[in-house]
Amino acid sequence: MTSDSKKELGVGIFFLALSVAYMLGTTRISTFTPFGNRGLDSRSVPQLIGFLVFVLSSVHVIQVLIQVKKSKQDSVEPLEGNRDQVCDTDEVICIEPPKGSIIARIDTVVPVKLLLSLLYLVIYVAAYQGVGFVISSTFFLLAESFLLVKKEERKRWTVFIILYSIGASALIYFIFTKYLSLFLPSGILG
Amino acid sequence: MLISGFASVFTDPTGIIMILFGVTIGIIFGALPGLTTVAGLSMFLPVTYVMASNIGLSMLTAIYIGGISGGLISAILLNIPGTPASIATCFDGAPMAKKGQAGKALGLGVFGSLIGTIIGVLVMVVLSPTLAIFTLKFGPWEYFSVTFFALTLISTLTGKSVVKGLLSALFGMMVATIGLSPIDSAKRYTFGSLQLTSGFHLLIVLVGLYAISEVLSTAAAKQEQVKVLDYKMKGLGFTRKDLNGNWINLIRSSLIGLGIGILPGIGGSTSNIIAYSVAKNSSKHPEKFGTGIADGILASESSNNASVGGAMIPLLTLGIPGDGATAILLGGFMLHGMQPGPLLFQTNGDTVYHIFASMILGTFFMAILMWAGMRMFVKILKVPTHILIPLIVVLCSIGAYALSNRVFDMWGLILFGILGLAMSKFKIPVPPFILGFILEGALETNLRRGLEYSNGNVMDVFTRPISAVFLILTVLSLGSTIIKQIRHSAKAAGKGAQS
Repeated sequence: MTSDSKKELGVGIFFLALSVAYMLGTTRISTFTPFGNRGLDSRSVPQLIGFLVFVLSSVHVIQVLIQVKKSKQDSVEPLEGNRDQVCDTDEVICIEPPKGSIIARIDTVVPVKLLLSLLYLVIYVAAYQGVGFVISSTFFLLAESFLLVKKEERKRWTVFIILYSIGASALIYFIFTKYLSLFLPSGILG
Repeated sequence: MLISGFASVFTDPTGIIMILFGVTIGIIFGALPGLTTVAGLSMFLPVTYVMASNIGLSMLTAIYIGGISGGLISAILLNIPGTPASIATCFDGAPMAKKGQAGKALGLGVFGSLIGTIIGVLVMVVLSPTLAIFTLKFGPWEYFSVTFFALTLISTLTGKSVVKGLLSALFGMMVATIGLSPIDSAKRYTFGSLQLTSGFHLLIVLVGLYAISEVLSTAAAKQEQVKVLDYKMKGLGFTRKDLNGNWINLIRSSLIGLGIGILPGIGGSTSNIIAYSVAKNSSKHPEKFGTGIADGILASESSNNASVGGAMIPLLTLGIPGDGATAILLGGFMLHGMQPGPLLFQTNGDTVYHIFASMILGTFFMAILMWAGMRMFVKILKVPTHILIPLIVVLCSIGAYALSNRVFDMWGLILFGILGLAMSKFKIPVPPFILGFILEGALETNLRRGLEYSNGNVMDVFTRPISAVFLILTVLSLGSTIIKQIRHSAKAAGKGAQS
């Protein structure tokens, strides 16, 4: 099974499981029909949505399984060590990505920066109320900017990033609270 | 009414400054590859919280106009479309720039954008009030059919698989059912949480799915040093001779953009490619397309800009957004206490005509700014993403927090940001999800009301002419897409068997 088929199967199974959980959840919705049941109650539409998702995800899973079966009959198994192929599903062409290509680079670069960005975002949100806008934003801007700047340029940008992070956070706080009358948490700065 | 709109715009200098500011911001966001109009709108939405509704919404529409137009700068000078709406501009814009005529390419692009926006906005101004009067006759069944049609249409038009499109729309509807039910306010999927009782705010879903996921994926991508081509632009950048034989192309492409803009979910990102293909197919010299000719740039830029007016029509008359940017605008309207739909023209007519007038003004501001300030926008292309991206996150977070002064909404932002990333990774189209989320309330309310009015008789939906027409259209659009996909997979299977 190709990685694309696995992904598609995963999508189908996810929606199938979601629909079952969602339909089970409808049993906990209270209904209210003071004028008799002339139409639908608060439970009906979620039940309908859950049922449709169940049917469509089943169709999707069956489609993927049929496709996998067909492609097994039609094509030759890929060579060992050649599994990460780039496939154009329309043209049924598969090529192996050369080492150092964009795809190979994205595979190695994406997860680390993405996960760190997400981690910084989670810490930022967690600290937002307690620590306050200015301090949490300054640290978030610092951390995220240093994460994104190229390693070889990090030294050159250090002073700018520090000043920019402090200045931008303070300026944004000032503009939004003084001129735009929005409430932003001041946190430990009182 | 439009004259009073202009009077209201011109008597308020702050409003004019905000339109100018909005257009500038829009052009910058449109020009920077990786950042889109939606990110710009999300970032500046909190700034409008304290503004008068007409000024705030005018600024947002100005960002929209600027954003769609700004994409041409990077498409021509970097050969990277600033927004998906400028993909086809690269086809002829970049080759023209490489021939040493970048100034001419930019000038033609701005001119195409100007004509496209004017045609789109004028049709919007004429058509929207008339359509609003027509939609006033709609009862629950008609609303139900229209929203049902919009949902199925977007599911069939976006993405390669109709099943995944429909699943995405239903997934959006599932998320929308969290909170209190319409009509009888029963708690649904709140899991005992007080925060979840009010459900997820539209803006949290939109900003998370579009802006945060976009920012995270840009952060994760490898940062490349951009090489901006040099250019010289005298006057408008082009001569009258360059437009010879292109007026029909301009009008046709604008009308294509307008028509596609009206359809929910696809907008400028599709219209520019379709208009380019049509221009090429109906040209006397199709072989010259792709070598750097004016026809291609004008077709692409006029069509994507005309989509702005097109996308605004269903938003204003039915409350159905035409694309991601209009979905954010819908959120903007709701934040300012207005519900787009047929009653908008009656209840907030002054604001609507103020927005119309400011859109026309914004169109001219866009052209003037791009012609006069091109050098400044080109310099901004060199601003590194490690400076911009964290700032966008901070400003989007302010928007989320300021909605109800609670951190819960910021968690929602992260949740939908991750969801957006996962959806793009698994090739599940996002627009149907958004429309499903937005329209679930209207769909459910009207379905339940319709059934109550007709004493539980569901056949009533087929006996009313307008709703019957929309249901027939739904069946036709679904049927034709399914047949097309079956034919396509049969063809692919045939090819596979041959090889």
